[in-house]
Amino acid sequence: MGIQSSSRSISSFAHESEEELAGFLDFYSIEWRYEPVSFPLNWDEQGRVIEAFTPDFYLPQFDLYVELTTMKQKLVTRKNRKIRRMRELYPDTRIKVLYGRDYRELLFKFGVIE
Amino acid sequence: MIFFSRINRKSTPAAVKKVVFDEMAISSRVEELASEISRDYQGKDPIVAGILQGALVFTRDLVKNLSFPVLPDFIRISRYGRQSRTGEVKIVKDLREDIQGRHVLLIEDIVDTGLTLNYLVRILLERHPASLAICTLLDRTELRLAEVPIKYVGFNVNDEFLIGYGLDYREYYRDLPFVATMNLEVVEPQTADGRPKTADRLTT
Repeated sequence: MGIQSSSRSISSFAHESEEELAGFLDFYSIEWRYEPVSFPLNWDEQGRVIEAFTPDFYLPQFDLYVELTTMKQKLVTRKNRKIRRMRELYPDTRIKVLYGRDYRELLFKFGVIE
Repeated sequence: MIFFSRINRKSTPAAVKKVVFDEMAISSRVEELASEISRDYQGKDPIVAGILQGALVFTRDLVKNLSFPVLPDFIRISRYGRQSRTGEVKIVKDLREDIQGRHVLLIEDIVDTGLTLNYLVRILLERHPASLAICTLLDRTELRLAEVPIKYVGFNVNDEFLIGYGLDYREYYRDLPFVATMNLEVVEPQTADGRPKTADRLTT
């Protein structure tokens, strides 16, 4: 997976909210990488990765992965399971999940959305 | 420095959903924080700097309760928003005093992502203060992205949009004497100047 960093012009975001967060981070001069790494979560008997999780952002300055969840509850539940699994397998890796409601309130606070 | 004047509201604004911390709770906690800060900074002649606009009210009340005389300083940085999405943060009102070699206590109304404070801390540390610490009235860790050296916390809060006691929604409701959750459903379409039609104006 390619590494894209701190420039919205070269990035192709999967979701509008991700681009918004990138802009937010740019504003505060926080370096970011978009989906720089996938974490294997499950393997088959031959050792091939059959499930992985790719956090949306990595912030090198804080050594922190950030995942945005702005989707439906059913998908959030599935994502939460993946994040729990990731935390089990990679306990030293810091990841922050911004849930849809929290993130929307943040954008609301800054007047980005109404 | 012009502080917000207290106004006697005839009724609670419709935007107030639920009072989370009333005047008495805030006053009591501010006194406790001031006592702690007074003890820690006694004899250190600190620079106490509120971050505008949100921390203006909190800074005023906190300073009044310190055991040593201090004239609060203020700093303001540009804010992310619809108009500034392609720009970058910058200081729009700097501290009056040179902080080199001085103990600095930054006062904030609420810390959520920590990005604002992270920026300020980076900038201010380049000026080589003797120490730099943060006092926030409210700490909302759910949204924290940047770790910042918060030394004093008034209250921990969760995932609710808060207004009052300095906290605003587009510059409204800062003058409320309490901290409340905001009823987002009462916000109507904006007027030409970008403000919600139903909101009460800040009085200064």
